[in-house]
Amino acid sequence: MDTFHSLMYGFAICLQPANLLFAIIGCLAGTIIGILPGVGPAAGTAMLLPLTFGMPPVASIIMLSAIYYGAMYGGTITSVLVNVPGEAASAITCLDGYQMAKKGRAGAALAVAAIGSFIGGNVATMGLVLLALPLTTMALKFGPPEFFSLMFVGLSLATSLASKSMTRALISAVLGLLLAMVGIDPVMGVPRFTFGHKDLLDGIGIIPIAMGMFGIGELLLTAEGSTTTFIKTKFKEMWLSWQEFKASIWPITRGTFIGFFMGLIPGVGVLVPTFISYAVEKKLSKHPEKFGTGMIEGVAAPETANNAYCNAAFIPLFTLGVPGSAVIAILMSAFMMNGLIPGPFLFKEHPDVVWGVIASFYIGNLVLLIMNLPMIPLWVSFLRIPTPILYTLILGFCVIGAYSGHNSVFDVGLTLGFGILGYLFKKLDFPMAPMILTVILGPLMERALRQSLEMSRGDFSILFTRPISAGLLALAALFVASSFFRMSKAVKKDTVV
Amino acid sequence: MTTMTRPYQVTAAVLFVFSAFVAYESLQLKFYTRLGPGPGLFPFWLALILGALSVSMFFQATFRSAEPRPADFYASKLGYLRALAICGAWMWATVLLEPLGYRLTMLVFFPILLLTLGRVSWYTNVLFTLIGSIAAYWLFTEVLRVTLPIGPFDALFEPIDKFFESIVSIFAR
Repeated sequence: MDTFHSLMYGFAICLQPANLLFAIIGCLAGTIIGILPGVGPAAGTAMLLPLTFGMPPVASIIMLSAIYYGAMYGGTITSVLVNVPGEAASAITCLDGYQMAKKGRAGAALAVAAIGSFIGGNVATMGLVLLALPLTTMALKFGPPEFFSLMFVGLSLATSLASKSMTRALISAVLGLLLAMVGIDPVMGVPRFTFGHKDLLDGIGIIPIAMGMFGIGELLLTAEGSTTTFIKTKFKEMWLSWQEFKASIWPITRGTFIGFFMGLIPGVGVLVPTFISYAVEKKLSKHPEKFGTGMIEGVAAPETANNAYCNAAFIPLFTLGVPGSAVIAILMSAFMMNGLIPGPFLFKEHPDVVWGVIASFYIGNLVLLIMNLPMIPLWVSFLRIPTPILYTLILGFCVIGAYSGHNSVFDVGLTLGFGILGYLFKKLDFPMAPMILTVILGPLMERALRQSLEMSRGDFSILFTRPISAGLLALAALFVASSFFRMSKAVKKDTVV
Repeated sequence: MTTMTRPYQVTAAVLFVFSAFVAYESLQLKFYTRLGPGPGLFPFWLALILGALSVSMFFQATFRSAEPRPADFYASKLGYLRALAICGAWMWATVLLEPLGYRLTMLVFFPILLLTLGRVSWYTNVLFTLIGSIAAYWLFTEVLRVTLPIGPFDALFEPIDKFFESIVSIFAR
């Protein structure tokens, strides 16, 4: 059976009423899970895994996968409306999504996120159908040196996240890297900057940082001003304007490719492609200074990248049996519970399951789009809740979100600490994105570099002698050079750097 | 015209002290091992970079034409009080969430915020306090299976739990 016929066979299985119903239930549950703080996609799929025990394998995996990408969209809703990421992958969307909401363009931000997620998800699924095996084989050539260099490309993009001052952006990035150093040393297992506190042994999680810096920081700033202001959105302004649509086309395209490529590499995590796609858009934009003020490109690219990543992350699972992230590992356990071993033989031995699930990605993404576009007015109507009530509810849910990550009140206190830091960052005009980016990249980079140096017995040349690694480092050098070129031009024009 | 010179000078000084502290702490860790960098190498270099950047920030703030200070840089007394109320309520939750349990802690957390963040009628206050504490607890623990702290006085809420359970059983039928 060729690929096309296999896919059609998958559609025939997926479109059976029961499977279709499970895809819809999964999308709905995923969206709700994404909206609620503290219940991320990993926790959501793990929580609902026992419910699938009695279900047929195809139906259970279809539902769990739908929860996964449904949660990715759900997280966007709170990021845009109240500046609190429902799940970590939507943290970067806060930067421009919330600013769009403040300008009365919340509907447009949610619409472009839904469309971008649909396109990103479907293109990645197409990649899964057509190019799965060769791409995965290539991705597996990524050893620690290549992985380090790839992360270094991400780090080099931190400089392009600067707004008015390059110095402040670099300080923000270094602070993020220092925060990433907290916890057990990845190679020697020595506690580092924990000051004898056991809660710090696991390091500082991204949830207290993102929720504190974006959510609590913004609430402190708003409460300090006036709490009686409403974010007004008219019904006729809910949809994307033609200009916004045009401006989103290329960011969606680039976000798709970045998310897809990163999804192939196990261990990258969904946060990295979202931040990198945002940084790439800012770098390529004719108006990088406007990012963070409500640019639709700043929503379109990362939202597309996260769904493309989610769908592409299934490729290493299906072709090699390698789970690339925590959620995929949970889905892998769903396969194994049903007596299916993910890997190259899965396509041959259980084509009904594999092709049924692959076809369900198309259906699921379509369901998500159809379900969420009409619901945008409903989501936006939450902004009409009087501010004291809305802010109090947000703060209450943030307490739950901060606590439930590790069941630790230490994290709750930490969230307030980062909230105050976020408030100071806003007051002093320090960009937050470089810090969040480096907090994510820091541990990945350090581990990869130290593993590389163990491979070469301390010889740094391993990073430059392997072709993929050297190519990526050259790309990073190009990014840094172009940022400094932009900075020097700004100095000549006597603008503040 | 007031400028951002002084706030940036103070920030740079604080960052410099922080970088010196991190550098000192890093030196207490192994710097290099037989297999390559030790746990102290990266933080030490990062501390040096942060120190250099803070010095650069200080000089930029002092000798370059400074940015104007935004009009709302300092808030009104009432504004600061509202921000402090948020911090106070959050600290209350941090300290008492485990000793008192989620529901009892939030029965105080919500009214404090609702009263300080704006004008809300007493019945709205009661309604949202109940939603944020008791209903949210039930939703997260019973429906979503998220663990939230239980306190020594949680037996007081047993009739409410039974009420929710009876509603669910009616729907389940």
